[in-house]
Amino acid sequence: MDTVCLSPRKPLRLILSLLFLSLSFSFNNASAQADGKKLFKQKCAVCHSMKEGVKITGPSLLGVFNRIPQGDWFVNWVLNNDKLIKSGDKYAVKISSFDVSAMTVFESELSKEEVLAIGEFIKTGGGDEAPSDCENPFAVTEEEESNATLYVLLGIISFLVLLIAVLRTTKHSIRNTLNEREGKPLNPEMGFWPEAKAWMGMHKRFVALCVIFVLCIGSKAAWDGMMGIGVYTGYAPEQPIKFSHKIHAGDNGINCQYCHSGVERSKTAGIPTVNVCMNCHKGIEGSCGWMKPEIEKVRVASGFDGSGYTKPEKPIEWVKVHNLPDFVFFSHQQHVKVGKQECATCHGDVQGMHVIEQKEPLTMSWCIDCHRKTEVPGMKDNPYYEQLHAKLAEKYKGQKITVDKMGGIECGKCHY
Amino acid sequence: MGTTKKLWKGLEELQNGPEFIQQQQNEFAEEIPLEKLLGDEKIENSSTSRRDFLKFLGFSVTAASLAACETPVNKAIPYVVKPEEVTPGVANWYASTYFDGNDYAGILVKTREGRPIKVEGNTLSPINKGGTNARIQGSVLSLYDGSRIKGPYAKGAESTWDTVDKEIGSKLTSIASTGGAIRILSSTIISPSTKAAIAEFAAKYGNVKHVQYDAVSCSGMLKANWNSFEKAVLPTYHFEKAKVIVSIGADFLLNWVSPIEHAKGYSMGRKLSKANSEMSKHVQFESNLSLTGANADERAHVKPSHMGATVANLYNAVAALCGGTAVASSATPADAKIAETAKWLAANKGASLVVCGVNDTACQVLVNGINTMLNNYGSTLDMDSPSYVRQGMDDEFAELVNDMKAGKVAALITYNTNPVYTAPASAGFAEAYKKVGLKVSFADRIDETAEWADYVCPDSHYLESWNDANPSLAHYSLQQPAIMPLFAKPRHEGTRQAQQTLLHWAGNKMDYHSYIQKIWSERVYPMQGKYMMFTEFWNNSLHDGAVTVGTGKVLMPSGETDSGKDEAKNTKKDTVSISGAGMFKQEMVVDVKTEPAPKMSAGEAAGMIAKWPKGGAFELALYEKAGPGNGLQANNPWLQELPDPITRVTWDNYVTMSPIDMKIMNLSLMERQDRDASLVNITVGGVTLKLPVFPQPGQMPGTVGIALGYGRTKAGMLSDKVGVVGQNAYPLVQMVNNQMMYAAFDVKIENANEYYKLAGTQIHHTMMGRHLAKSTTLEEFKKDASAGNEREMLHTHSGLKNPTDVTLWDKFDRLGHRWGLTIDLTSCIGCGACVVGCTAENNVAVVGKDQVMRTREMLWIRIDRYYESDMNEHVAEEKGEGAVSMYLDMEKPAELNPKVIFQPVMCQHCNQAPCETVCPVIATNHTSDGLNVMTYNRCVGTRYCANNCPYKVRRFNWYNYNANTDYTFNPAQDDLGRMVLNPDVVVRSRGVMEKCSMCIQRVQAGKLEAKKAGAKLVDGSIQTACAQACPTNAIVFGDLNDAESAVTKARDERNYFMLEEMNFQPTVSYKVKVRNCAPTEMHHEEKHEEHQEEKHEEKHEEKKES
Repeated sequence: MDTVCLSPRKPLRLILSLLFLSLSFSFNNASAQADGKKLFKQKCAVCHSMKEGVKITGPSLLGVFNRIPQGDWFVNWVLNNDKLIKSGDKYAVKISSFDVSAMTVFESELSKEEVLAIGEFIKTGGGDEAPSDCENPFAVTEEEESNATLYVLLGIISFLVLLIAVLRTTKHSIRNTLNEREGKPLNPEMGFWPEAKAWMGMHKRFVALCVIFVLCIGSKAAWDGMMGIGVYTGYAPEQPIKFSHKIHAGDNGINCQYCHSGVERSKTAGIPTVNVCMNCHKGIEGSCGWMKPEIEKVRVASGFDGSGYTKPEKPIEWVKVHNLPDFVFFSHQQHVKVGKQECATCHGDVQGMHVIEQKEPLTMSWCIDCHRKTEVPGMKDNPYYEQLHAKLAEKYKGQKITVDKMGGIECGKCHY
Repeated sequence: MGTTKKLWKGLEELQNGPEFIQQQQNEFAEEIPLEKLLGDEKIENSSTSRRDFLKFLGFSVTAASLAACETPVNKAIPYVVKPEEVTPGVANWYASTYFDGNDYAGILVKTREGRPIKVEGNTLSPINKGGTNARIQGSVLSLYDGSRIKGPYAKGAESTWDTVDKEIGSKLTSIASTGGAIRILSSTIISPSTKAAIAEFAAKYGNVKHVQYDAVSCSGMLKANWNSFEKAVLPTYHFEKAKVIVSIGADFLLNWVSPIEHAKGYSMGRKLSKANSEMSKHVQFESNLSLTGANADERAHVKPSHMGATVANLYNAVAALCGGTAVASSATPADAKIAETAKWLAANKGASLVVCGVNDTACQVLVNGINTMLNNYGSTLDMDSPSYVRQGMDDEFAELVNDMKAGKVAALITYNTNPVYTAPASAGFAEAYKKVGLKVSFADRIDETAEWADYVCPDSHYLESWNDANPSLAHYSLQQPAIMPLFAKPRHEGTRQAQQTLLHWAGNKMDYHSYIQKIWSERVYPMQGKYMMFTEFWNNSLHDGAVTVGTGKVLMPSGETDSGKDEAKNTKKDTVSISGAGMFKQEMVVDVKTEPAPKMSAGEAAGMIAKWPKGGAFELALYEKAGPGNGLQANNPWLQELPDPITRVTWDNYVTMSPIDMKIMNLSLMERQDRDASLVNITVGGVTLKLPVFPQPGQMPGTVGIALGYGRTKAGMLSDKVGVVGQNAYPLVQMVNNQMMYAAFDVKIENANEYYKLAGTQIHHTMMGRHLAKSTTLEEFKKDASAGNEREMLHTHSGLKNPTDVTLWDKFDRLGHRWGLTIDLTSCIGCGACVVGCTAENNVAVVGKDQVMRTREMLWIRIDRYYESDMNEHVAEEKGEGAVSMYLDMEKPAELNPKVIFQPVMCQHCNQAPCETVCPVIATNHTSDGLNVMTYNRCVGTRYCANNCPYKVRRFNWYNYNANTDYTFNPAQDDLGRMVLNPDVVVRSRGVMEKCSMCIQRVQAGKLEAKKAGAKLVDGSIQTACAQACPTNAIVFGDLNDAESAVTKARDERNYFMLEEMNFQPTVSYKVKVRNCAPTEMHHEEKHEEHQEEKHEEKHEEKKES
C-alpha cells in the first residue's frame, strides 16, 4: 500500500479520501508510456471534472493553466502540494485555504513525466472523447444470431422433406407411366405409412442400425442434458444497470477489493453498496453517450440530486450470477485470504468482461478437482499449521500435499 | 371468566334473523354452482374426452417441469448505504441484558445482517458469568413473534400513537385534577431509569403509586428480611461457598430467585478434579420431585402443610447445636432427616446455607434465624450486596385489588404483567379490573389482561429496546437494541418502549436512550473511579454489558475462600463507607420497602406456623417448568417442545402423582410414556381443573404437583394453531395472610374415567442394569478417583482384554485437531438450556405434540433422565427372582425416592461409527478431525443409520416441517419467524436424516479465524452451542490433540464412554456423577424399610376396598 505523508492539521475527510484513493489506485504505475488521458482518468477524475464550473471534491480543471503560475508550479503542486504550501508559495497557500479537504500527495505514484502528460491532456480541454471508446459493448444481439441459425436449419429440413415428397410422387408417376405403357396394372396409390412400412420391411437391418444409432445419440443427448441441469456455465444475465467490469477493473484498473470488500473478511465477497459507486460517480458522469443513462441509474438509486443525497433511496436489484445451492457452504475468505487464490481462478478474466459471466461450472466435481490438484505450501506464519504440514508430509512421503490430503474433500467441510 | 357482555360481529348477528342463521350453518357463504356445471349439456357434447384431459394434464406437467430447469433468477440487493459495522456474512455481537421480571442474565446477542439470531450468556456479567437458561436461549424467537401487535389499540381497535397519547393524556389529566388514584402495576423492575421514568410520571399526575407484583412471588422473603434486617430485599446467595446446602421446597436451580446465578455457584462448589476432592452437600426437603431435588445428594419428603413445621424443627435442631432458643413446633415424618441435617449444618457453621421456597413471612423469618445462628450472613448470604430481582409485594397487590373492587382506582397501567392470567382465583382480579375507569396495558400482545384494557400501548421487545438494570447493589448492566423495532413506521404504527411512553405522558420529550445516559451520569457514573469521562464510562459499560461499581462490594468467588472470613468482613466494611453507592442503595431500598410492620420474633413466627391448617388427603404444590416458566413466553414453540427435565413430557402440564397413590386410585400408570394418561378432576377451594395424571416416581405419596405457566388462552398464534397448551393452574394459588401460597393443603381428586394422550420423549425410566450413566459417592471417590467407573472388559481366547484392543477396524490417525466433548454428570443439572441453545443454533424444527407422540421429535440433544431402580442383580438374588421378572422390575424406578441422573446425549461422533458402515449412499462419514458428519443433500432417507445407531441420536425428517401446512407453528414457516434461522446452517427438508454436527459451522469458523490470524487455535475459542449455553459448565469442548486443552485435562479417572465395550471410540465422553451422600448399601436398607411401610399401607387400602 502506498504511504503518504499526512500533515497533522488535516481533518478526517482527508484520511478517508486518502484511504479510498490508495485503495482504488493501488495498482502498478510502471506503465512505460505516460498516457495523459488515461492517467487523468485514473488519478484525477475522481475529484476533478473537465467541465465548466463543475466542482466535485476539487475544482474543475478546465482552463486551469490560465489561472496557475507558469513553470514547474503545476508539477510541484501535483507531486506534493503539502510541501509547496509549507514552502510558503503564495498561490499554493491561497488556494489551500479554499477547501478543508487537502489534495492527495502523488509523489510516490506519479513521475514528473506523467504529471506533465496529464498537464498536456488538460490543456487539450479533455472534453471530447474519442468515438472508438464510445461503442456500446452491451448492444450485441446474440439472440437474433442463434435464431438465424435455427431458421436456416428449419429451412433446410423443410426443403429436404419437400424434396423427398416430390421425388416420391415423381417416382410413383414415372412407375405408373411405365406400367401404363407396358400394360401392367397401375400401382395403387399407397399412403405414406404403408409404403414406409413396406420399405422398412425390406431394409430391416438398416432400420435396426438406424434405430440403435438414434437411440445412442438420444441417450447421449439426454445424459448431457441431465448432467447440465443446474449447471449454468456461461450464464450472463442482463443486469438492471449496464455495468462493465472491463471498464472498471480492466481499463481503469480498480482493484477487485475496492468494491468487493468482504472477500477477505467474510464468506461472501459482497456486492458493492451504492455509496461505494457514488465515491467515484458523484463526479464521473461517463464519457460516452450510452454510459450516461446507466450512471444516472446509480445516482438515482443513491438518492443523489446533483449536490446532495436528498431524494429517496432505491436499492439496485442486481441479478446474481454465481449461484451455489443452499446446502453448500463456500467461504471467500477461506479461499482468498487463507488459500491465497486469485479471483480469476473461479471467476475468469473479469477484467476483460463487459457483461459478467459465469466461467466455471461451479459443480461439486469442479470443486473437488481443484482441491485434488491444488498444492498447499504450508503456512510459514502459523507454527501450528506448519507442524501439521510437516506431519502430513511425513505421512504422504513423496507426494504433493494437496487440499484433499488435509481433509479438503470431506463432505462435512462444505455441507452442514 | 364469566361475563354478561354481549359480543357480536355485525348487525346481522345481533338481529339473528332466520336467513342469517341458515347462512351461518352453511360451510360456504355462497352456493357452489356444482349442479349448474353438471347440468350443462355442452359438457356431454364436448369433444374433450377423459383421455384428452389426461393428455393435456401430462403435457402441462412436463412443460412446467422442463420450464423449471431454466436458470432461476436470484436477486442480490445490496444496501444503498451500508451501515459501517455490518459486513454481510459476518456476525456482530452486542452486549445486552435480559430481564423479563423473572430471569436476569447479562447476555450477548449475535446478529447477522442486522437480525438477532442467537442469545448467549455474557461471561463478563458477575451475576450469571456466561450462563443462560432455556427461556433466555428461547427469547430470541419471541422477538419474531407475529402475535405481537404492531401498533396501539384503543377500545379493541387499531389506533395511532397520536390518538392514544392525546386521549390517555387528557383522561389522566382529568383524573389528576380530581385527585383520582392512578396505579401502575408491573412485575419487578430493576431498571433505575425505568423507575425514574415512573417517578416523573408520578410527579406529573400526583396520586400515582407503583405496585410491583410477581407472578411467582418472593414477598414472604422480602417481608422477612424487612423484619430481620430492615431491608426489604433479597440477599445475594453464594452457593459456591456453602459446604452444606439445605433447601426446603426451593427450586433454586431452575426458578427460585436467580436460578442461573445459583446454578453457576452451585456447580462451582461441586467441581471435582485432581486438585479438589471436596464438594458441597445438598439436602432437599420437598413433596414434588423438582429439578433441584433431583440434583440433591439427600432428599426427604415433606408435605406442603408440613413445610412450616420442617423449618421450625430445623430451627430447633440447629438452635440446640448452636446455642439458641427453641421455638414451638410439631413433629413431622422427616424429623430424623432434619436432625441429621442440623448436624451437618452445625458442623459447617459459616459455610452452610439454608434456603426455603415457601412464600410465607413466618417461615422465612425462621430461615433467617437459622442462617444467623449458623453465621452464614457475610459468607454464603450477602445482605450488604443485596439482590433486587424480586421486589413484588403480595399485600400491596391485594390492597390494590381491594381498592379496584371498591372503585377507588381511577386508572390502572399494567406493564409486563398479566394479572388476569396469573392472579389467584380468590383475588378476583378480573372482576376488579373491570371496575377501573381507565385501563391501559403496555402488553406486547392482546393477552388475557390487555383484552379487557381500554388502551393497549405495545412495548417493544427487549432486543429492540434500550434499558438498564441493577440486579444487585453493586452491579449495573445495560440493555441495548440489537435491531430496530420490527414493527415501525411507515408499514406499521409501531411499538414503543413503555418507558418512552411514560416519559411522553409525563411531558418529558427526551428519548429514553438519552434519558438512561442522564440517569447514569447522575447516579451510576459518580459511584466508580475507573473512568474520568462519562462517555468513556458509558461506552465501556455498553461494550462490556455489565459494570460493577463500588469495587470490593462483591464477595470473591469460591476460588478465594482460603482468604479467610476476617478479610471478607473487612472488605465489607470498606464497601459500606463508599458514600455514592450508599446513597443509591438507600433509594433502591426505599423503592421496595413497605409499611414498617411490627417486628416478628422467631417465637411469634413459630406460633404463626403452628396455626397452619392440617393437610387433607391430598396436598398440592405448584411449580414452574424449565420451558414455559411462569407463562410469559407461552407462545414460544421452542420452549413448549422442550421436554420437562423430570417427566420428559412436552406440550402439556399435568398432575404429578406418586404411583403408589395412582395404584390405589386405579389410574393409568402409563407403564410406557406413550400410553394414555388418566384424567382427573382436581378441586381446590371451588376451582376445578381437569388434568391428566402423570405417575411421578419420587413424588411424595399424598401430594400432587401441577406446573404453572400453562393454559394461556391469549398467548398468541400458537394457541390458535395447536390449541391452548395445558391448563392454567394460577387460579389454584392460595392467598394466605395476603400472601400467595403456591400450595394447597386440601385438594380433592376424582378419577374422571377419561383418558388423555401426553407427549413424552423418554420411554425408559431406568437403565435396566446397564452402565450408561455412572455414579458413585464422594466417600468412594475420595478412596479411589475411578470409583464407579468400572471398565467393561471382553473375554477373548487370550484372556480378558480391553475393548479397544479387540477391533475389526482399521486404525485411524487424527493428525490435526481431534475434537472432543466431555460432559461432567456431576455438574449437569438437567435444566435444558443446552437443548434450546442447540435448537436456536442449528435450525432444529419444531414438530408439535402429535409428532412427539410418534417419537419423531427433532431435538439434536436430549437430556436423558434416569431413576435408580430398587431392583438390581443382588436384590433379585436375595428375593430369588428370575431373570424375566428381574428385568421387568428393573424397568420400574424406585417409587418413593429414587436417585436421579441427568445425562445429555447428542451424537457421540464415534470414530468407528456404526451408522457410517450401513449408509448405502455414504451420506454420513468422517472428517479427519474426528467428527461424524451428515451430508443432507446426499441422504436418500433409508434410515439404516438410525437403526444402527446404538445411542439413538439420529433424527429423521418425516415431513417438510418448513412448508407442510400441518406444522405452521414451526418458526421457519412464518415470514417473521424465519428471520431467527441461522444462515450458516442449512434448513433440512423432508426425507433426510439429521443429527448433532458438533456445531461444525462454529468449528470451521473458529479454525478459519486461527488461520487468518496466523496463530494456533486458542483453546476455548470454539464452543459448541450446548457448551456455551450451559450454566454449570458441565460441557467442555476442545482439541484432544492439545495436551493443554480443557477437554484433555477434563478426561481424568472419572471419564468414560457410553457403551465403551462396543469400541465405537466416541468423541463424546462422560464423567461419573459423584453424590455427596451416604454409601449405597445403607441407602438401600433405608429404602427397603420405607418401601415395606408403604406396602403395609397399600395392603390396608386393599383390605378396605375389599
